[in-house]
This record gives sequence, structure tokens and C-alpha cells, in this order.
Amino acid sequence: MKVLIVDDAVFIRLTLKAMLEKNGYQVIGEAANGSEAILKYNQLKPDLVTMDITMPQMDGIAALKAIKKMDPSGKVVMISAMGQESTVKEAIIAGANGFIVKPFVEDQVIRGLSKFK
Amino acid sequence: MANNDSKASMLDLFVFETNQMLEQLERLILDSEKSGGLEVAINEVFRIMHTLKGSAAMMMFNDICSLAHSLEDVFYYLREAKPPRVDYSELVDLVLNAVDFIKSEVMKIENGGNPNGDCADISERSKEFLSALKANDLSLTDTSQRPVSSELKPKYSIGVANISEDEGKSRYEATIYFDEDCGMENIRAFTIVHELSDLAEDIVYSPKDILENDTTSDIIKNEGFQIAFATQNSLEMVQKFFCKTMFLKEFKLNAVADANSKKPKQKKTIVLDDPITNEAMNSIVKEVEQQTEGTQSFISVNVSKMDMLMDLVGELVIAEAMVTQNPELHGLRLDKFYKSARQLRKITGELQDTVMSIRMVPLSATFHKMNRIVRDMVRKLDKKAELEIIGEQTEVDKNIIESISDPLMHLIRNAVDHGIEPARERIAQGKSEVGKIRLEAKSAGGDVLIMIQDDGGGLKKEKILRKALERGLIEKGDISLTDSQIYSFILQPGFSTNDIVTEFSGRGVGMDVVARNIEKVGGRISVDSIAGEGTTMSIRIPLTLAIIDGMNVKVGGANYTIPIIAIKESFRLKDQNLIKDTDNNEMIMIRGECHPVLRLYERFQVQTAVTDLREGIMVMVEADGKGICLFADALLGQQQVVVKALPTYIKKTKGIAGCTLLGNGGVSLILDVAGLNS
Repeated sequence: MKVLIVDDAVFIRLTLKAMLEKNGYQVIGEAANGSEAILKYNQLKPDLVTMDITMPQMDGIAALKAIKKMDPSGKVVMISAMGQESTVKEAIIAGANGFIVKPFVEDQVIRGLSKFK
Repeated sequence: MANNDSKASMLDLFVFETNQMLEQLERLILDSEKSGGLEVAINEVFRIMHTLKGSAAMMMFNDICSLAHSLEDVFYYLREAKPPRVDYSELVDLVLNAVDFIKSEVMKIENGGNPNGDCADISERSKEFLSALKANDLSLTDTSQRPVSSELKPKYSIGVANISEDEGKSRYEATIYFDEDCGMENIRAFTIVHELSDLAEDIVYSPKDILENDTTSDIIKNEGFQIAFATQNSLEMVQKFFCKTMFLKEFKLNAVADANSKKPKQKKTIVLDDPITNEAMNSIVKEVEQQTEGTQSFISVNVSKMDMLMDLVGELVIAEAMVTQNPELHGLRLDKFYKSARQLRKITGELQDTVMSIRMVPLSATFHKMNRIVRDMVRKLDKKAELEIIGEQTEVDKNIIESISDPLMHLIRNAVDHGIEPARERIAQGKSEVGKIRLEAKSAGGDVLIMIQDDGGGLKKEKILRKALERGLIEKGDISLTDSQIYSFILQPGFSTNDIVTEFSGRGVGMDVVARNIEKVGGRISVDSIAGEGTTMSIRIPLTLAIIDGMNVKVGGANYTIPIIAIKESFRLKDQNLIKDTDNNEMIMIRGECHPVLRLYERFQVQTAVTDLREGIMVMVEADGKGICLFADALLGQQQVVVKALPTYIKKTKGIAGCTLLGNGGVSLILDVAGLNS
């Protein structure tokens, strides 16, 4: 399963990447903001995108909307922090396929994403 | 992060990224404070706090996390509610305190310790600040309800419509439990309702207010989420749907009797607003493409690997010289060999340039740290001063940057503490009330020149002289000293800590340490001052430590290497140019200027047959604006040399900067031109 990781923190990206790769996912790309994510999505056509919400330049919601517009069947999982309930709601309405709440542990991420396999 | 290895590297990354964010945050705050308002930076600060919080939570550094969270809340409020009156100066203090706290915690983490600091105080202050803000701003009564959600509601409308036909539908009831640790259960329940609406209708669920009320997540956690719906799809499909839901622990799915009889016919319609139009989409993509063209991608590399690479390239340069200048090749006609050798040399040269450029880092980060120091000191000392930064983009080797950071800080502190006078004094002297400190960097040949200039009171010459006399550095009645010689006394050890010195704008405090640290990286510091107008400290540091262009010269049986940058010209002496002064010191007159002659064989006590100035070669070198003619037997040729420190068993010799290996395996001493000159 090919995954695109979108997060503005390198640290979170690498953490996620390590978790995913250990569990047989193929991380084919990373993006640091929403606009990069859209571009990478077009280039790489991932099976799944993990999308942070708060990012500079373009946030995760805008990127989600753009991706869903281009590819309604694209799978996007939001990564959100506690206390962002309202934004997550917005994301779900915009078509997000699920969300993971930070801070997360490996087991949680893998369990959640396994539904998309 | 399950295994320790990856945890360690994660930690490194966490430290690195957090430090970067803190630096960015600090700069943001200070810049915006200068430009008159924090308002413009609110968004950015909010985002950084948010990211800090997320990363710290991942690493389970709870104190950092909660502190970042409390400040995130403040900035969230500022961003959303835009309160009219905000005490920004207090907020700046608050944020800077938090930055300091997190910095010190990260430092502990970096050194392998436990981040055990207590941030309750700052957190508390930040909470107080927030509640004060809220109290001030009564128009927004309930802030816990975030404005986004109220905006959101109209977008999602649940309409009720009658369905005329509903054949072959079955009705199901389900109770759903989520994993315990998944978080935001109410939103997860909402996700199910939302997605279910694609394949089912007539959806009823409990608790009902999942969207509006976040506390429903607790109910769902304990009692499960109840949902009933009617669908044409098979039981299998419905089961499959639930299986695909993230973090769904278990669900009980029951078919109930005929859908028609049970409930009024209702259809749930979900209206999605705000679709992105095609045009807008295109413009976004275009914009994105433009942005990414300009951005470079970066990787972070461990410095020790860079050092290793540099060392290896250094060895390669030596090895290359050893091969191509091998004595055994002498007298052989090897056209093809030399052609290949030239190619090799070209490539090694390029490789070396590239490695150097990788190691080069702009001074901006170091310089901007000074902003904070000036700001804090000015507040503490109740003076007025501003820092002007020029040439922050100048690049210097990473290792050098690290070792000049402390000395710079010291000099800046001195400038504020002792250089700039109190505002009242300044006005009395007809100066502008606000003192000016200028921190400037520029390239000068192979060196970088950093100047710290203040427009304060300047050094007091007489007092330095008196002090120097006391310490026996000069003899009474010695009037031959130039100003810069006098000022440079303050760089002497022991000139510090004395209250006499501190009183006259005390550039004595630890100045010897500053000078020593700068000398360690091959740099030099000089002092200049005009009484009443200010003091200038000039630091000259080499761009890099490792490899220099050198001219090899022969003196008797020994080789010396002169850094090419220092060489002005080399020539053979003509009789008429040689003059002697009354003390029998030899001087050479070139284009109307006199330059002293230094016979290298005398200076280093080497036996040589060439003692007649007309027989050997003169190399004129320049340092600190003074020319001096070095006398050697012959020029051997130009070569890139790798600077090695002198072995510890050789005492530090003035005039020798280090040593290097030559192509023939011999050792050459690298001359320190400035050292020879003084």
C-alpha cells in the first residue's frame, strides 16, 4: 500500500514513516504543507494520504478538498491534535476517510489504517 | 518508536526540529515587536505552538506539551476572537519565557538528561493571561465553543424528506464501540453517520447531539453509539461497511422488522457546501507548482559525518599531490599521465569546493540570537539601545560559527552593559537617546570580518595605560605605544575582574577568554575606540579551517607554506630599493612605501647558503594593512594544503599557524603572517 505523509513537522513525518514502513506500508512521498501535498498527490498517486491539519501556506482541510475534488475515491486520513474537534468535523464533511488523534502510538496508527488495506 | 534505535534518532530529530522552531519563534516575536505589533505574527505563533505541542506529546514530554498547549490556547483566542485590547508586551515576555523554558528542557534532553523542569508557573501565567483577555472582552461570552463549529453548522444541514417508495429495504439497528484510545469518539460516530448516508437512509442515532456537544464522546465511550437505519443493501454489505471503519472495536448489528412499519418515512439528505470549483482548483495547482519550483529540498546530516567527509577530502588532496608530484616522476616524459593528473586535480578541486560549500552556514542564526540578548539587557539595565545587523547572509564554516557564538555574545553584552551610556547621559552629550550597536559581517578575501560597533562612551586610554603600568605590561614613560596597542591591552588576561576597569566601560571582563576563543579558530580580534564616540571590535576569522591555498617556499633544508591570500607580490630585490634605517633595520622601498624585511632563515634559525638578499626571493605579505617582505631561498610552487594543527609536543610558536604534508611526503610549516608581523 502506497502512502503519502503530509505534516509540517519533519519529526512527525519520520515517526509516521518509521511506523508505517515497519508494518509493510510503502511510504512513497512526504509533503510539508497542503500545496505540496496536492502536487505530490498528482505525481505519485498514493493509495492513502495521512494529512496533518494545521500547516503553513495551505492547511490540511484545503488540501483534502482539493484532493477529493481531483480524485473522489482518494483515501485521506486526517491527523489531528486533541481539541480540534470542529476542524475534524469539517474534514469529515469534506470527505476525509477517517482521522487519527495525536499523540498516537504505533499500534493505534496501524490498527486504524489497516481498515484501508 | 518501538525499538530503541529508532527512538534515539527520533529524539535527535525532535531536538533538532524543536530548536529550529524555537529559534524561528523567537525571531518572529522579536521582529514583530520591533515592527510595532505582534498581531501580524499571531497565526504563525499559533501554528508553531501547535506543532511544538504535537511533537512533544509524541515524545511524551508532558511539561513542554502542556506549556505549548496553554500558549496555543492564548493565540487561538487572539486569532479567532481578535480582542481589541491586548497587552502585547506582557505576551511577548510570556512567550519568551516559555521559549526559554522549552529551550532549557530540550538542552537537558539533548544531553541525555530528563526534562524535569517545572513549567507550572509559566503555564499558570499564560492561563491567567487568557482569562484576563476573556474577561476584558465580554462580547464573546463562551469561548470554549470554537467559532469554527458555529460557522460549520449551516454547511451541514439534515433535511427531512418523505420517501414514496421503499421496496426491499431492511432495517437494522447497531450498537458500536470504538477502541479505547482512539479519541474524539463523537466525531468518529459522526463519521459513521456521514458515510452511512451514502448507502442507507432513514438514519436515527443516539446520543443525538454528537456534532454540537463534545462531551458525548464520553457517553459513546461508555455506552456505545446506537444507530438505526434502513437500506437496500445486503447484510453483508453493511457488515463490511462497519468493518472498514477506523478504530471500531466491535459492533452489534441486528436486523429489525420491516422498515416501513416501524418509522415514519424519512430521508436524510446531506448538503455539502463549499466545493472547490474547477477554476479555483487549477489556480491552486498552478500556484503550487510555482512555489515548489523555487523551494529546495533539504536533508539534515550529522555534523560528525561532515567532519569526516572533510577530513577524507583533505587526505585525498594530499594523496593527489603525493601521486602527481611524486619525486620518482622527475625527468620522465609522461604526457598522458600528466593529462590524466590534471583531470584528477580538477575533480578533487571541485569535490573540495562542494564539500566546503556544504559546510558553509550563514551567520544569520548566530546574529539573530544577539537581538534577544540586547532586548533582555536593555530592559534589565533600563537603557535604550538597538541592534543593527548587516551582512547576516555571510557564510562561514559550521565549526567556526559554533566557536564564535560565545565570544560574539560576550562582546555584544559588553557593548550594551559598558559601551552604551544611560539615556540621560546620552542626551546630555547631545547624542540620540537610543544607543546604536551595529553588528556587521563581510567577506574579506579568504577571511570573514565581523565588526561590533557601538556609539557609546568609548575606552578611556589613560586608565588602560595606568592599569597596564600597574601590571608591569609597560614601562613608565613609554610613549611609543600606538592607540591600538594600548587598546589591545584589554585583551590581556588579568585585565578583567578589576573594578577599575569595569568602571571605565570595562571591556576587561573576560576579554582574554574572548580573544583566546577567537584565536583558537585561527581568528584575530582588534580593538579600536574613540573617546566619546564609541568602540569597534573587529574580528577576522578564516572562512574555513581545513584547506587553504598555499605558496611553498624553501629556506635551507626546510619548507614553509605562506597562505596565498596574504601574499601581495613576490619579486627579486634590486639594489637601489634596499634601505637601512638608523638601527640597521633593513627596509625595502616599493612604490614609495617602506616595508621591513624579515629574513626567514634568521627568524626560524635555519642554516642556508642563500643569505644575500639579491639571490633569494622576496615575498611581500600583508596583514592588518601592514606589508612585510619575507626573504626565502626560492619559491617551490603553489599548492592546496590541508592545515593540520601542530602536534601537542611542539610548543606554540609565534608565526607558525600549523603544518601540512607536501606531495613528496615532507612536512611544511604554515606561516601565520599576522604573527610574524607583530
